[in-house]
Amino acid sequence: MKTLKLLMPAGLTIFSIVFLFASLNLPKANLGNPYGPIYFPLGLSIFMLIFSVIFFIQELKKLHETNTDIKLMLSGRTPKLILFTIAAGLVYAFLFEPLGFLYSTMIFLGALLFFINGPKKWLVNIIVTVSFSFISWYAFSQLLGVSLP
Amino acid sequence: MDISSFLDGLSIAVQPINILWIILGGFLGTIVGMLPGLGPATAVAVLIPVTFGMNPVSAIILMAAIYYGAMYGGSRSSILLNTPGDGSAIAATFDGYPMAKKGQAGEALAISAVASFIGGLMAVVGFIFLAEPLANFALKFGPAEYFLLMLLTLSAIVALSIGRMIKGFLAMMVGLALSTVGIDTQTGVYRFTMGIPHLSEGIDFLIVIIGVYAIGEVLYNFLNIDKQKKEKKKVGKVWFSKEQWKRSKWPILRSGPLGFIIGVLPGAGGSIASMISYTSEKQISKRTEEFGEGAVEGLAAPESSNNAASVGAMIPLLTMGIPGSGTTAVMLGALIMLGLRPGPLLFEQQPETAWALINSMFIGNLALVIINIAMVGLLVKILDTPAKVLYPIIVLLAFIGTYTLSYSVIDFFLLLIFGLFGLMMKVMDIPIAPLVLALIVGTDMEQNFRMAVLSSNGSLGVFFSSGVSIGLVILTMLSLCYPLILKLAKRKKNMSEDEDQVYKSS
Repeated sequence: MKTLKLLMPAGLTIFSIVFLFASLNLPKANLGNPYGPIYFPLGLSIFMLIFSVIFFIQELKKLHETNTDIKLMLSGRTPKLILFTIAAGLVYAFLFEPLGFLYSTMIFLGALLFFINGPKKWLVNIIVTVSFSFISWYAFSQLLGVSLP
Repeated sequence: MDISSFLDGLSIAVQPINILWIILGGFLGTIVGMLPGLGPATAVAVLIPVTFGMNPVSAIILMAAIYYGAMYGGSRSSILLNTPGDGSAIAATFDGYPMAKKGQAGEALAISAVASFIGGLMAVVGFIFLAEPLANFALKFGPAEYFLLMLLTLSAIVALSIGRMIKGFLAMMVGLALSTVGIDTQTGVYRFTMGIPHLSEGIDFLIVIIGVYAIGEVLYNFLNIDKQKKEKKKVGKVWFSKEQWKRSKWPILRSGPLGFIIGVLPGAGGSIASMISYTSEKQISKRTEEFGEGAVEGLAAPESSNNAASVGAMIPLLTMGIPGSGTTAVMLGALIMLGLRPGPLLFEQQPETAWALINSMFIGNLALVIINIAMVGLLVKILDTPAKVLYPIIVLLAFIGTYTLSYSVIDFFLLLIFGLFGLMMKVMDIPIAPLVLALIVGTDMEQNFRMAVLSSNGSLGVFFSSGVSIGLVILTMLSLCYPLILKLAKRKKNMSEDEDQVYKSS
């Protein structure tokens, strides 16, 4: 839990440092002021670094305090739900174009429903999956003219 | 006010297709707004793809309808379940839920809908009189004034995240940093694209928005998914008594204009408007002891106020092109995508669009009060639908929405990254609105800054060269000092209370 509490401030500090160096290495402009494109990101990265460090110190000082949200995020089936949703999203990204919208969506929505709503409610899950996949396909591709794979 | 533009706008707003969009948007917005934990910003973000392929006028009408639909919806779940959809519906739980517990759910729903309606109407009238003069005023703005106005908006929204200003600043800076990715429009230099051609046009802000608001919020709601209570609600007759109306009418009429003004201010929104209305009504009421126990005016006042604020918040968006809140930032993102650039020129070049939207708000508020009173049975049934079924659907809509932006599955990965980032922001109590706002105004802010400095041959004096710019600088400084002033005021109040106690005990 303590590591997770420091993850965000540490991550932002690293991000600021990378951003700072990337800003310093930006190519100079051939038009107008050569440093024109650099000033803003450079100034921003310096301020960001200062604020990230302050944030880090603030969190470090409160390290012993419990963050209820982090506690909840790590308890019960919540971590599984979060990881499953992300994993399902990744699989959906790979299946979306090869399988086409309708089939990949049925697999994605069905998987999410079975995992989140539970297999006991299989009938509801199947009805929602099939009907919603068709409705969204019809609404987007036929009514709104979105070209779906 | 130009009567012919007003009538042109009215004729567009009453076109059957637009009325259909208003009703549909209001209804869909109500449903998403009713979901615990999901508010208007999420409602607009998730439903953005519905607007693609539409003409921009219908799109903005639909998005506005979704916005205030979600405001109505937010208070449904506050009253019936004691779980507000978002910040602006929190005040509705104070007396709305106790009313429902006392068996007055129907009365509470009706008074909240009517109060929202009246607050909304009053704000639309304010809108009509304020929008055009403000747009004309904004026409005189140069790059320096625009830069300072954006700076004021950002600093105000950060300053209002009281108690977590450092986090607010960080969120803002991440948003600004993300906005620098892509080709620099003034010099053609590629910045932070990491050699990925897809990033040369920048990170699409709608993906970030859908990621943090839709995916991030759903993931965050997983934290309490198995704890959401299931209550059978008996709504009964959806109307209020003469006595209840007598008690509510003045609070409603007082809170509408108050909410409207707060909504117009940058950074402040429905949450602050409803809280201020609630506390001020509590202070002036003769029945202070009933507040929190189901006092009808304690529900009516914040409801009128937050709906008025949602209409007021559209004024800076429409007249200056600068959103003052998370939700209006999302709307601006979608409008830019559709090729409509709100700002002072909108009233000059496309007055019919602006007036069509204003007129649609009248119709929309009327439609919503009817939906929320006549269809209350259906809404309660939808509220009964388990969140476990609705969250997967929202996740799916977020994916479809992302796909429609660029027809590329690469964006699915970005969506997931920003979804996780949104979850971590919520968990670490980092406000999201400054990120979204900064991301959307970031490019313009930088370009205006550089143009202003360029026009003055590199001198920063340009930011103090006009009355407006000096005024904006002072307001920015004041907004940043606001938390400090608040702290001092509280300390003083505490001290005087202490003094009181000392005095009494002696």
